Amino acid sequence: MTGGLIVVKHSSTGQNGMAQIFSPAADTWLRLFLLGSLAIVAGGTAGIVGFARSAYITSTDFRPSQPVPFSHRHHAGELGIDCRYCHSSVETAPRAGLPPTETCMTCHSQIWTNASMLEPVRKSLADGKPIQWTRVAKLPDYVFFRHDVHIAKGVGCETCHGRIDQMALTFRAKSFTMEFCLDCHRDPAPNLRPKDHITDMAWKPPADARATGEAIAAHEGIRAGELTHCYVCHR
Amino acid sequence: MTRRRSNHVGAKPAGPRLWSSIEELSGDPAFQAWVDAEYPAAAEFTPTARRQFLKLMGASFALAGLAGCEKSPFVAALPYVDQPESETIGVPRIYATAVTFDGYAQPVIATTWSGRPTKLDGNPDHPVTMGRSDVFMQAAVLGLYDPDRAQAPTRRGEPATWQDVVAAIALLRGSWSKDQGEGLHLLIGPQSSPTLLRQLDALRKQFPKAQIHLHAPAGGAARRDLMAAVYGQPLDLHYVLDDCDVVVSFDDDLLGPGANQVRNARGWAASRRRSSRQPGIRLYAAESVPAATGAMAGARLMADASRMAVLAEAFAAKLGISGAASGDLTPAEQGWIEDAAKASNAAKSRALVTSGSYGDVGTAIWVARINDALKSAVLKFSQPVTGPSDAASLGDLVADMRAGKVQTLVILDCNPAYTAPAGLGFTDALKQVRSTLHLGLQRDETGELCEWQLPLTHALESWSDARAVDGTASIIQPTIAPFYDVRSVHQIMAMLLGEIDPAADAAVRQTWRASFGGDFDARWQQALYDGFVEGALPEVSATPSGNAKSEKPAGKGLDIVFRPDPTIWDGQFSNVGWLQELPKPLTTLTWGNVVTVSPALAKRLTIANGDNLEVMIGDRSVVGPAWIMPGQAENTVSLSLGYGRKRAGRVGDGLGYDAYGVRPADQPWIAKGSLRKTGTNETLAVTQLHHRMEGFDLVREVTAAHPSLAKQETPPSLYPPWPSAKNAWGMVIDLDSCIGCNACVAACTAENNVPVVGKDQVIVGREMHWIRIARYYEGEADAPRSFFQPVPCMHCEQAPCEMGCPVHATEHNSEGVNQMVYNRCIGTRTCSSYCPYKVRRFNFLDYRAPPQSPVHAADNPDVTVRSRGVMEKCTYCTQRIESAHAAADKENRGLREGDVVTACQAACPTRAITFGDINDPDSEVSRLRRDGRHYALLEELGTRPRTTYLARWRDGGGGEG
Repeated sequence: MTGGLIVVKHSSTGQNGMAQIFSPAADTWLRLFLLGSLAIVAGGTAGIVGFARSAYITSTDFRPSQPVPFSHRHHAGELGIDCRYCHSSVETAPRAGLPPTETCMTCHSQIWTNASMLEPVRKSLADGKPIQWTRVAKLPDYVFFRHDVHIAKGVGCETCHGRIDQMALTFRAKSFTMEFCLDCHRDPAPNLRPKDHITDMAWKPPADARATGEAIAAHEGIRAGELTHCYVCHR
Repeated sequence: MTRRRSNHVGAKPAGPRLWSSIEELSGDPAFQAWVDAEYPAAAEFTPTARRQFLKLMGASFALAGLAGCEKSPFVAALPYVDQPESETIGVPRIYATAVTFDGYAQPVIATTWSGRPTKLDGNPDHPVTMGRSDVFMQAAVLGLYDPDRAQAPTRRGEPATWQDVVAAIALLRGSWSKDQGEGLHLLIGPQSSPTLLRQLDALRKQFPKAQIHLHAPAGGAARRDLMAAVYGQPLDLHYVLDDCDVVVSFDDDLLGPGANQVRNARGWAASRRRSSRQPGIRLYAAESVPAATGAMAGARLMADASRMAVLAEAFAAKLGISGAASGDLTPAEQGWIEDAAKASNAAKSRALVTSGSYGDVGTAIWVARINDALKSAVLKFSQPVTGPSDAASLGDLVADMRAGKVQTLVILDCNPAYTAPAGLGFTDALKQVRSTLHLGLQRDETGELCEWQLPLTHALESWSDARAVDGTASIIQPTIAPFYDVRSVHQIMAMLLGEIDPAADAAVRQTWRASFGGDFDARWQQALYDGFVEGALPEVSATPSGNAKSEKPAGKGLDIVFRPDPTIWDGQFSNVGWLQELPKPLTTLTWGNVVTVSPALAKRLTIANGDNLEVMIGDRSVVGPAWIMPGQAENTVSLSLGYGRKRAGRVGDGLGYDAYGVRPADQPWIAKGSLRKTGTNETLAVTQLHHRMEGFDLVREVTAAHPSLAKQETPPSLYPPWPSAKNAWGMVIDLDSCIGCNACVAACTAENNVPVVGKDQVIVGREMHWIRIARYYEGEADAPRSFFQPVPCMHCEQAPCEMGCPVHATEHNSEGVNQMVYNRCIGTRTCSSYCPYKVRRFNFLDYRAPPQSPVHAADNPDVTVRSRGVMEKCTYCTQRIESAHAAADKENRGLREGDVVTACQAACPTRAITFGDINDPDSEVSRLRRDGRHYALLEELGTRPRTTYLARWRDGGGGEG
């Protein structure tokens, strides 16, 4: 139609009639272009979301090198040392606490006293300088997480940190995305366990996990529905 | 255009009742254009083309998403080697200690995180302050981290070691012991420290001919000198405002800044709230320069500074005191005196008459006689808390220096090269002294001129002691180990006494070992735990003996009065950014000082705000910008001390004018002088017109005849109400108690990591304070009434900002708090333009200190430090709410009244701010919301604010109330 108008226009000026500017395939190309754009946008979005959640970005596949190749598998798994022996403020403070050199030396002044891999520990004690660990479980600065209240309300160590007792070198077992936190804050019941199993790495929820969890939530007075607002974690 | 509102409460005012600036009152069209923009100064920006704007906007949207793809870096984690037993990582520890101001102790509870003090609050158990604070106490923590502090000893500007210092002192001691310390002079600021006073005595025992001089450029020492003239002995005055019914003030800013502010404000507010049907205490204030006291007074009389003695005598005559004669009075003066006399006679011994620290002897003598005649039981005396009591003056010292009698001068805790009146010629005389030692926090103007500059520890890193205004002693314990190569004043005094390397706490322990006796360890521990040692100074009785002769300042011309700056004081806090940026009460000026003149004088000399004026006293003059002060006495001009510094540091240098430059040595507070316009002007960083609200009845009043406001219907809303959690937070601010002191603003700054933006940014309206003290006037510019209204975020239940945000960066939570999520904010500022209360602040620039700056140590680790491009505002101290929730949740209980105290609430000296759970009918905040004086700001907008107000009592002078 438009082309016709142009033709009429050109004819009226007495010039030669011009060819149609849109070829018969133009519609197809347009459709292909729209489809392609949609595919690129959708694919790109999916790709970005996927990338943001990937093990690479969430660092769940990475075992950072540590000054001492400390093995949780050995200490927590094989020797069965309770988490709270070293992470002593987990029940009383926002931070679980990294053990001071003195804590390492309670045992290692007696056993493996000459092991070369423990040299940085001995050096730290001698120099009074802290061991420079690389933090594995880290949240962004704008997240104000508290260990103590989670422990008090029945969230086990394993729920967020995974099977630490099976890690030779510690890595981040769960991607600490906002979704990971919010899933539980929206519906804590399935992730709750009895108080005496908080540090139990092998604890498995019973068959009626939800009912058990809801009973625990009721008993612990979890403020259901109040845990998802922004200021709970961000301030 | 301005109308006085009738006393009938509830009547809709026909025009704007309240005004906030001279320009607004005069209806200046340029002013209207200026405020029409939301950020008024934005009108001056170069316009950005629409196309360019869209381009930039598109690019920012495209790039915004990429920010989410940031991989969180692995960072180091450093545990202790040997963790202190009482240290739990992430849990703050608190210490009871004190900071000092004007020589007095300000007892504090210091919050420390991993050994870093970040926040000071009043000590709730202390008998004087009962947990309240003032701006100087709140900001003391930033002084600790001042990057411009002296960090190691210097000799003639070259770095030195403490061994050098000890060696030099040994040499000096050798020469002093030859002739019993002849030629050794000490110049010190006022001190209440029992240990320091003991050490000074010990020094005088070793060197009996040594002389001590006292130099106090402002503060309590001025009143003590007045009292010495009135009562024949130096005395400290103590007002028992809790038991007081009527106060009559002659230019005494008893509610204004100073060491007594917290005590007076607390007592005044407690009395004011005695009854729910009328104000419990009445205040009659005669004032030359508007200040907090006059703003709160039911009846304020404007009178020149040099007229106070005449008024006081006339008031005495009205009360029938022998020898008093009533001079010629204006009708206003006559009326005010009649009303005040009637009220005082009715109150009898529960009446208090006061005269200012910075007034003349004549006024002070009449006031003393009036109190004596009234048998005032609410005025107590004690020996001076600060000393040393037998010190000579700065004038004597300069005379001795000129005469070549001073061989060694030790300058301690004062800065005479800056604060000495220029007429004395201190700096010239200093050149005649062979050895000079300056002990101070900073290598300031005086430290620069002295041979030795010995850096002192800040109170928060010292072992020391000091007495509060009532004489109750506090042992000052360090909250952090000194992080520079500095020594405490007691250590340096011990060096002067011959010790080589004195321990930090040795001298303090020695002092208290003598007074605690055999039970030392237990009592020492208890004193450190409590933060004070029970026992005020004993009361003494005194009768005025001075000769009641009104001496007027010599010469003719205008009354030029000097006042310490309300935030910088005598200049000692010049380098504290928090205090520089606090809007000064009434003027709302930041980052500078002004010459305040009355509207009548301004009209006579055609002065506009910001015009530079030359103030001449004798043959000296100083140039400073003018500020037309509504309510200032016609022929009084006020200069504020503390500015014009040259060696304060990076924050305080080069701001304002130096009033010490014209200050006469013999008339330090009131002098006669003249004024002329220089023809230049400058822009003042004044905040009063920023963040303006539009509406009626912002500040409401009630009277004893109508003690309740008309109940307002909550307007209907199209939006459904939010479901409420168990707790619903609310705040009530009592306008009758707010004295506009700014303690809440300072406390909020410290608690919430509110940045300091600097003078240029304040000028364009970008100050970041989360709570502002709006100041309004009512009535004629010559004699208006003044109102203070603290405005934090209202946390509206139907919040316009939440509807405006395109990215849900501001959200409502189930406890009724309007949340601000910094990470979501993309900086459109829509929320701010939707906010009718103008409480949102935008980070136009990255206002954080440089990464290496020590001031980061003052940051509260529980609150995000905001970067550029995000909006922020009051959060109701959500970190405190969430901490309280966590503590309660761990114990499996609900929150109780008092579990959550916001920073502003804790700091307020008058308890004007109440915060709590409005779902709990028994909470204090619920009780106040049912009070007859309760109202919501701009309630007609239907925003349903959670922060609400109590109306102010209007109590006229005649007691009609």
